[in-house]
Amino acid sequence: MSEPIVRYNNVTKYFDDLQVLDGIDFEIQPGEKVALIGPSGSGKTTFARLLMTLEEITDGTIEVEGDYLWHEQDDNGDLKPASTDHLRKVRSNIGMVFQHFHLFPHMTVLENVMEAPVTVQGRDKKEAKKSAEDMLDKVGLLDKADTYPAQLSGGQKQRVAIARALVMDPKVLIFDEPTSALDPELVGEVLDVIKDIADQGDTSILLITHEMDFAKEVADRIAFFDGGKIIEDGPPSEILYNPQAPRLKEFLERFMNTQSSPE
Amino acid sequence: MSFWELIVSLLGQGLVITLLTTVLAAILALVLGFIGGLMRLSKNKFIRFIVAIYVEVFRGTSLLVQLFWIYFVLPMFGLRMSALTAAVLAIGLNYGAYTSEVVRSGIQSVDEGQTEASIALNFTRVQRMRRIIIPQAFIMMLPNLGNQLIELFKSTSLVALITLTDLTYQANVLNATTLQTTQIFTALLVIYFVIAWPMTKGMKMLERKMTEGRM
Repeated sequence: MSEPIVRYNNVTKYFDDLQVLDGIDFEIQPGEKVALIGPSGSGKTTFARLLMTLEEITDGTIEVEGDYLWHEQDDNGDLKPASTDHLRKVRSNIGMVFQHFHLFPHMTVLENVMEAPVTVQGRDKKEAKKSAEDMLDKVGLLDKADTYPAQLSGGQKQRVAIARALVMDPKVLIFDEPTSALDPELVGEVLDVIKDIADQGDTSILLITHEMDFAKEVADRIAFFDGGKIIEDGPPSEILYNPQAPRLKEFLERFMNTQSSPE
Repeated sequence: MSFWELIVSLLGQGLVITLLTTVLAAILALVLGFIGGLMRLSKNKFIRFIVAIYVEVFRGTSLLVQLFWIYFVLPMFGLRMSALTAAVLAIGLNYGAYTSEVVRSGIQSVDEGQTEASIALNFTRVQRMRRIIIPQAFIMMLPNLGNQLIELFKSTSLVALITLTDLTYQANVLNATTLQTTQIFTALLVIYFVIAWPMTKGMKMLERKMTEGRM
C-alpha cells in the first residue's frame, strides 16, 4: 500500500474542558473514499474540521502527504506550531463542502467558482474562467453562471459549492453533511454529483453523513465515531451488515427505525 | 446689488465651504473608521487598546469642544492650522470614532461561514477581508454610514464658531447686517434640508442597487 495522504497520530481535541476527540489514529489512502458516521456530538465533524484547520488541534499531529499540518520541524527536528505560511501550504491540499454551503452572496455563481483560483492561486483570469465554467458544467449549472446565489435552490447552491471546492483541485475533499440542510426532493441531485466525483476522481473523500445508503454506495470504508473515538472502522458491508461493537449495533438499529422510507 | 442678490451670493459662498468641509471630513472619517474598525478586530491587545482610547475620547467629548481645542489650543503647542484644516480634522476625527464602531459591527455581522469558506479555499487573512468579508460588511454598514454622513453634514454648522466662513457663518453675517432674521434663517433651514434630503435618497438608492437580487 502507498503512503497515506492523511494520517492522524494520537489526535486529541478539547473545547475548554470538554474533550471531543480522544487520541485518534487514522489514515486515509490516496483516492480512498471514507464515510464518517456516528451520533451527533460524537466528534466526527470536529475530526474533519481539524483537517480543514477550522479548529485548532489540542494534542497529537496530523500529516498531509507526509507534511505536518499543524506543526513544523525546527532545526533539531523538534515540533513547533506551524507558521501561517506552512499551514497555508499544507492546507492547499484540502478542500471542504459545508452543510450550509457558505457561497459568497455578493458574487455571481461564476465569480464564486473563479474567485479562489484567481485570488489565492494567482491564476490567469481567462484561464480560471474556463476552468470555472468546466466545473459548473460538470455539476450541471453552467446556465446559472451569471445568477447570484440568492436565486438558487438549496440543491443548486450545494452543487456550486462543490464546483467551487473542486476547481482548486484538492487531494482530499471533505463533505460535512452536504445534504442535511436540503429539502428531501433536492438531496438526490447533490448526491448524484458527489457520486460522480467519487467515481471518476482520484480525489480522496471524507464524507460525514447520515445517509447510510449513500455511504454504502460511495465509500470504500466507513468509520463509526462515538464519544470522541473511532469505535469501528471497515468496509461498508462489514460496518453496516455485520457490526461488532455494541454501540454501533445500537446506533444502526436506532437509525433504521427512524428511517421513514426504507428502500 | 439687490438684497436677494446679496443673500444668494453670500450664502452661495458659504455653501461651497460647507460642502467642501463635508466632503473632506467625510473622507477622513471613512478612512479613520475603516482603519479603526479593523484595528479594533485585531488579535493584538495593544492595538485594540489604542483604538479604544481614540474612540472613547472622541465619543466622550463634544465636537464643539474638540473644534475649539484643535483650533485654539493646539497653536499654543506650536501646531497652527487654517480654520478649514482644523474643521476637517476635528469633524473627521470625531465621526471617524463613530464610524469605526459601525465598521467593526458590520464586519462582525458577516456570517462566520464566510470566514470558514475562505479558509477552506486557502485565502490569506488580508485576501479574505478584502474580497469576501468587507464587501459584504460594507453593504450592511451602508444604512449607518448614510445616517452618519447626514449627521456629519449638519454638524458642519459648528465650524462657524471657529471663524470658518461656511453657510451658517454667512447667514449670521447677513443677519447682523440686514436684520432680516426670518428670511435669512428660513433660507438657511431650507438650504440644509435641500442638501440633506437628496443625500438620504441617494444612500437608499445605493443600498438598493448593491443588494438587488443578491441578498
